[in-house]
Amino acid sequence: MNASERIEAASSFLLQSPPGEINDVLNDVRNIISDDDSLHAGVLPALKEYNLTQFMTADVPNAEHQSIVSDAARLDPTEEAQERFVDPRSKMTFLFDHLTLEASDPQPFEPDSEAESFRAALEKSTLTYLHAHFHDGVASIFSAQGSTKNFVIQVVANKYNPANYWSGRWRSEYRVDMNESTLRGKILVNVHYYEQGNVQLSTTHDVSLSLPAAVTSAAAPAAASKILALIEDEEGRYQISLNDTYQEMGEKTFKSLRRALPLTRQKIDWDRVTGYKLGAELSSSKNMFGNS
Amino acid sequence: MADLVDSMLDLMRRLPPTRTEENVTSLIGICPEYADDLLGSVDQPLKLKTDRATGKEYLACDYNRDGESYRSPWSNEYDPPLEDGTVPTAKLRKLEIAANEAFDTYREMYYEGGASSVYLWDLDDGGFAGVVLLKKTMTPSSTQEPSGSWDSIHVFETAERGRQAHYKLTSTVMLQLVTRNGSEGDADEKGSSKGPAWKHQGEVSLSGSMTRQAEQDWPLTDSSSHITNTGRMIEEMEIKMRNLLQEVYFGKTRDIVYDLRSVDDLEKARRQRELQKELVGFIKR
Repeated sequence: MNASERIEAASSFLLQSPPGEINDVLNDVRNIISDDDSLHAGVLPALKEYNLTQFMTADVPNAEHQSIVSDAARLDPTEEAQERFVDPRSKMTFLFDHLTLEASDPQPFEPDSEAESFRAALEKSTLTYLHAHFHDGVASIFSAQGSTKNFVIQVVANKYNPANYWSGRWRSEYRVDMNESTLRGKILVNVHYYEQGNVQLSTTHDVSLSLPAAVTSAAAPAAASKILALIEDEEGRYQISLNDTYQEMGEKTFKSLRRALPLTRQKIDWDRVTGYKLGAELSSSKNMFGNS
Repeated sequence: MADLVDSMLDLMRRLPPTRTEENVTSLIGICPEYADDLLGSVDQPLKLKTDRATGKEYLACDYNRDGESYRSPWSNEYDPPLEDGTVPTAKLRKLEIAANEAFDTYREMYYEGGASSVYLWDLDDGGFAGVVLLKKTMTPSSTQEPSGSWDSIHVFETAERGRQAHYKLTSTVMLQLVTRNGSEGDADEKGSSKGPAWKHQGEVSLSGSMTRQAEQDWPLTDSSSHITNTGRMIEEMEIKMRNLLQEVYFGKTRDIVYDLRSVDDLEKARRQRELQKELVGFIKR
């Protein structure tokens, strides 16, 4: 493998990191590649991609809350050299270091005044929903750049428990289009359990819905709370349906791969298993003699 | 550079089990000189092959590999053919044949399908070692049907001590389960009365491997005792591991999802606790 192929392989490993384990994977990769100089610059794009797709959270400078660093949070690059991310809640933009995960250089951000009232209403309803159903969740609500009728709701909840060898991440994203009256979303859950093993749960769930007139014609606060009620209902149903999937997998797939006990409901009598075979061998050779 | 192998193994313990083969190939590409270490210590899904001589299916892994060829336990032949491929001594081969028959019966009784293979090899200290492989795959008839696979790899070493034998067993089970589902705007689940209909489509994948070890002494009457002894140990181990997998796959991972999100309203529960506290304070007064 040449140097660029090695960086490509290292990037692929990083992008596969389970929740909360990117630093462990990075340490392993550093040791394996053992060329820090080329690695550092080479894997930076992968680290950034990982952070954006995994909804990495940032401590917003001078704010009491965290915000999500994602594609939706990325400001359209202007003539400015360094890429900035927006936290619409505190109306701030900041720089983000994709290696140290630190936010810096806060600058005030002027939102689009036409979109802001609906965005703020969605934010209020989403935060209520977040506190009602997520143990350690972070949510950010963005107004799509260049539109006053398109919004993105993002939610992420992480639990990292390396002492007990597990970690988990729940991500949801919804795109509200008030022009088309549609709500499109996806829910992604990843769980890693690695005590004397490596077991991973990975789920995807894509949803879409036409928003009824009762929602689209309502005033911003009412419309936002109705949209979040729809999301709450769907996510709750999804979580419960996961139980059914688990049950089906356990009862159908798992059982038909390997039985708990043989049909006889008894463990195997190994003396007879070897004995049977010996007997079968003798009788088959007897038949051979008989036929000849 | 032992720590390099440790880093590779740590990495493999973290990356998705569904991509083990691809990732092992990448690691070997980066560090070709560690290929043997890696192939010898990372369990990969067993490959199903067909014995050209007998037409029977057998399982291929690092233990029956010589170069690019794999030895069948049924005909003892390598595929692609090898002129001087490593084979067990005549005495051990006899035991290997009997072990393959015994575990074939075991496979039928527990798996009701699938494939099994047993490979034995001599050890330098006079004892011998072996691996018992079992695999079953469920291929769905449609994309909506659940699919899955189970791979067992039981590696053992034995040392005879008079009329006893000591066994060291390392067992790995790889289990993969996938369910896909979707609906085009559900007419069911009171969807129409309760509100607008969602369309959804998704996949749930549970995959991974777990490894456990055991050491035991068993009596030895003749050489076939090795089959009954390892048979009992492996059967016991698989029962234990099946329970463990059930617990981790369907219990543990589900609990973690519920640690992330709660179906019930947490805010309501918080308020209720507050109220209770106030009430207790009130009564105490």
